[in-house]
Amino acid sequence: MTAPEDISVRNREAQEAVDRASTYEWGFSSDIEQEFAPKGLNEDTARFISAKKKEPQWMLDWRLKAFRKWKELQAPNWAKLNIAPIDYQDAFYYAEPKQKPTIASLDELDPEIRRTYEKLGIPIEEQKVLAGVEGARKVAVDAVFDSVSVATTFREELKRAGVIFLSISEAVREHPELVRKWLGKVVPIHDNYFATLNSAVFSDGTFVYIPEGVRCPMELSTYFRINAANTGQFERTLIIAEKGSYVSYLEGCTAPMRDENQLHAAVVELVALDDAEIKYSTVQNWYPGDAEGKGGIYNFVTKRALCQGKNSKVSWTQVETGSAVTWKYPSCVLAGENSVGEFYSVALTNNRQQADTGTKMIHLGKGSRSTIVSKGISAGRSDNTYRGLVRVGPTAENVRNYTQCDSLLLGDQCGAHTVPYIEVRNPTAQIEHEATTSKISDDQLFYAMSRGLSQEDAVALIVNGFAREVLQQLPMEFAVEAQKLLGISLEGSVG
Amino acid sequence: MSLLELPSARDENWRWSDLSALPAILDRQPSGTVPEALPWIECTREGPRLLFVDGKLAAERSNLGTVEIGMVDADPADHALAKQIGREGWRLRLAQDHAPQGLVQIIHVSTGAADHLPAQIELDVDAQASVVETYVGEGWINRLAQIRLFKGARLMLSRRLLGAGGYVSITDRASVGEGASLTVTTLAAGGGDTRLDGRIVLAGLGAFAEAGGALLGRTKQRHDANLVIRHEQPSGMSRQVWRSVADQQATCSVAARVEVARGAQKTDGVQSLKGLLLARTASINAKPELEIFADDVKCAHGATVGELDRNALFYLASRGVPQPEAQALLTQAFVTDAIERIGEEAVREAFHANAVTWLGAA
Repeated sequence: MTAPEDISVRNREAQEAVDRASTYEWGFSSDIEQEFAPKGLNEDTARFISAKKKEPQWMLDWRLKAFRKWKELQAPNWAKLNIAPIDYQDAFYYAEPKQKPTIASLDELDPEIRRTYEKLGIPIEEQKVLAGVEGARKVAVDAVFDSVSVATTFREELKRAGVIFLSISEAVREHPELVRKWLGKVVPIHDNYFATLNSAVFSDGTFVYIPEGVRCPMELSTYFRINAANTGQFERTLIIAEKGSYVSYLEGCTAPMRDENQLHAAVVELVALDDAEIKYSTVQNWYPGDAEGKGGIYNFVTKRALCQGKNSKVSWTQVETGSAVTWKYPSCVLAGENSVGEFYSVALTNNRQQADTGTKMIHLGKGSRSTIVSKGISAGRSDNTYRGLVRVGPTAENVRNYTQCDSLLLGDQCGAHTVPYIEVRNPTAQIEHEATTSKISDDQLFYAMSRGLSQEDAVALIVNGFAREVLQQLPMEFAVEAQKLLGISLEGSVG
Repeated sequence: MSLLELPSARDENWRWSDLSALPAILDRQPSGTVPEALPWIECTREGPRLLFVDGKLAAERSNLGTVEIGMVDADPADHALAKQIGREGWRLRLAQDHAPQGLVQIIHVSTGAADHLPAQIELDVDAQASVVETYVGEGWINRLAQIRLFKGARLMLSRRLLGAGGYVSITDRASVGEGASLTVTTLAAGGGDTRLDGRIVLAGLGAFAEAGGALLGRTKQRHDANLVIRHEQPSGMSRQVWRSVADQQATCSVAARVEVARGAQKTDGVQSLKGLLLARTASINAKPELEIFADDVKCAHGATVGELDRNALFYLASRGVPQPEAQALLTQAFVTDAIERIGEEAVREAFHANAVTWLGAA
C-alpha cells in the first residue's frame, strides 16, 4: 500500500497534469474576414438571418413565432449549474466568412479556413481521399464555421445512393417539403428556452435524409467551430431515416480560446421510421475556459430522437470533455413497437467546468427497450452531474430499461452527482438502475505501476478502462480522438 | 385558517405530490369521537404512552413518564407544510447514559380536521431511546420532529400510518453526533395520503443513519417520501431502504438523496429503492440521488421497478401454492426488507402484522 507522502507526491503530479491539460490545444482563432449580423437579439435578427439565407416566407414566419415565444420564456434553473447571467443582447447571432464559398471540396476552400481544419486535425480521412490514398475509409464531411456551412463533401457519391446530405439552409431551399414536414416535429419550437432561441436564430447545420432501405455508404460527419468573438452558434441538425435505412453520423466541436463566454445552443432532431437505425456520435471539445474558469463555451443543447417506427433504433454516444458549462440531455422518444434507445456517455470535467448531462428515455411503444451507460469523471474543481429520466407510459407493455451511471472522482475538490428520475406507469416494465461512485484505488494503481507503467500511463489506462464501455461504441476515427482527449486531460490525475 | 400557498408540481421537491385535498380538510370540524380500542403495542417493557387527539394530549388515556409537554424550538419556515406548525408539542429529552423505561408509544388520532404538532427528541451522550408513533383517523395530521443526538446516542424511531383516509405529513429535522445512531422506519399501510420529508445531518465523525420504510398504496392513494441524508463529517455511514407497492390507481414516490460534503471522506452511503406495481393503472416514481463532493467515498444506489418475478411465481406454482397466496407471499417478502431493521421485536411484529393486513385486504 501507499504511504501518505506518496499520496502527496501523487497529488502534486495530478495537479501538474491538470495544469498541462488546461492548456487548450485547439485554442487558436483564425483571422478571416467575417460578415456579422448587427449585435443583439430582436425580430430583425431573425429577419436578417432569414434574408441572408434566402429563406422562403414560411421559414421566416416559423422563426418569428419562435422568437415571440422565447420572449415569454424563462431560462431554466433546475440544473446543478452556476452560470453568470447571460446578456443575450451582447452577442452576434450570425457570422459568416466573407468569401462565401460555393465549392465542392476542401481544396477550393479559403486557405485560412482550410488551415484551421488542418490545425484541428480533423478531416484526415478526407485529406487521404483527396491525396488518392487507396482504401481510405470514406467519411462525408459537412463543416460549419461560425454560422455557415462551408463545405459539404462527397455530395455526388451520396446522391447516387439517394442520400441527401446538405447544410440545413440549402435543404430549406432545395427540399422544402421534407424540411417543412419534419422540422420542429421532435423538438417543437416551444420546447424549452434554449431550443426556442435556436428556432428563432438558427444559422446553419446539417440535414440528412436516408431513403427507404438505404444503408448510407459512408459515415456522415459534421465539424462545428466557433471562431469569431462574441458569436453565438446556433446550429440545427435534422436527420430522417426512412424505413429500413441506416446511418452513422459523427459530430465534433471546437472553439478558440476567448476570455468571454460564448454561447452555443444547438438543436438536433432525429427521426427513425420502421426498422431504421441512426447512430449519432459526438465528441465535444469546445473551449472549456482557463483554470480559473474564465471564458469557455456555454453549451446548451437540445438533442432528441423520435423512434417512430416499429423496430427502429437510435443510439447516442457522446464524449464530453469541453465547454465551461454543459447542459445537454440527448433523449429518445420510443414510440414505435419494439423500438430501441441507447445512450452511452463519457463526461469529463476539469478545472472549473460544470457539466449537467444525461438522457431521457420516454417509453411509449410496446416492447421498447433502452440502455443507459453514463461515465462521469470529475477532476480539479469541477462539477459533473448525471441527470436522467426513464418514463414508462401506461400502454407500453414489456418495457426494459437498464441504467448504469458510474462516477470517478480525481481529487477532493470536485463533485460528482447523480440525479436519476424513474417514473413507471405499467407493471410489466422491468427497470433497473445502478450507480456507483469511486476513485482510482491504490491497489489498481500499484498493480499497474508494478508492471512498469509510469503513474500517468497507469492512470490513463485505468480511466480508459473506466470509460471503455462507452468508447467502444464510437466509430473508429472518433474512438482514437476521444481516447487522446481523455488522455490529455487525465494523465496522472490521481486524487 | 387556510393555506395561503401550497407548492405546485412545478416545484422540483413537490413534483410527485398532490396537496389538493388539504384546503378542504382545513375547513372541516373535528368530530371528536375517539375509538375505544387503540393500536397500542403490547411489549414486555412498557414505557410512556401518549395519546394525542386532534393534536391535543388526552391526559386521561396517557402516561407521560419521561416525556414532557412544552415548547419546541424549531424553525420550519422553509417548509410549506411544516410552517403551519406551532411551538407547543411533546419533548423527549434524556440525560447522559439514560434510557427511558421501555418503549415510548405515541398515538395520533385525527377525528376529521387538521392538526399540527411539533416534537423534540434530544438524547445526550450515550443515551438511548426507542419510540413508536402510530397515526390513525382521517383528517390531516401534520407533524414536525426536531431530533438531536449527541455523541454515542441511539434512537430508534418507528412510525406506522394506519389512518383510514385523510393526509399525514411528517417533517423530520435530525442531527446525528459523533458515533451516534439514528434509525427511522416508516410504514404507510392505511388508506390516506402521505408526505414524508426528512433531512438527517450526520454532523459527527462516524455517525450512522438509516432511513427507510414501506409505502403501500391502493385506490387513488398517493405516498410521497422526500429524504436527504447529509454526510458532513468523515467516516459516516447511511442506509436508505425503501419499498413501494402500488395497486389500483395509487402512486408511490420516493426521492432520496445522499449528500457528501467536501471533506466527508470515507463516507459509506447506500440507497436501495424498489417499487412493485400490482396493477396497470398504478404508478411508481423513484429518484435516487447522489451529490458528492469528496473523492474517497463509497456511494452506491440501486433502483428497480417492476412486477412480481415470474420465475418466483412459477416456482411457487410448481410447488402447489395457489396463485393469490403466492403473490401475497412474495409481496410480503418484498415489503419485509424495509421493516426488518426495527430493533424491538414486538414493534417489528406489529408492523409486519399491519403490512400483512393491508396486503390481505385487496
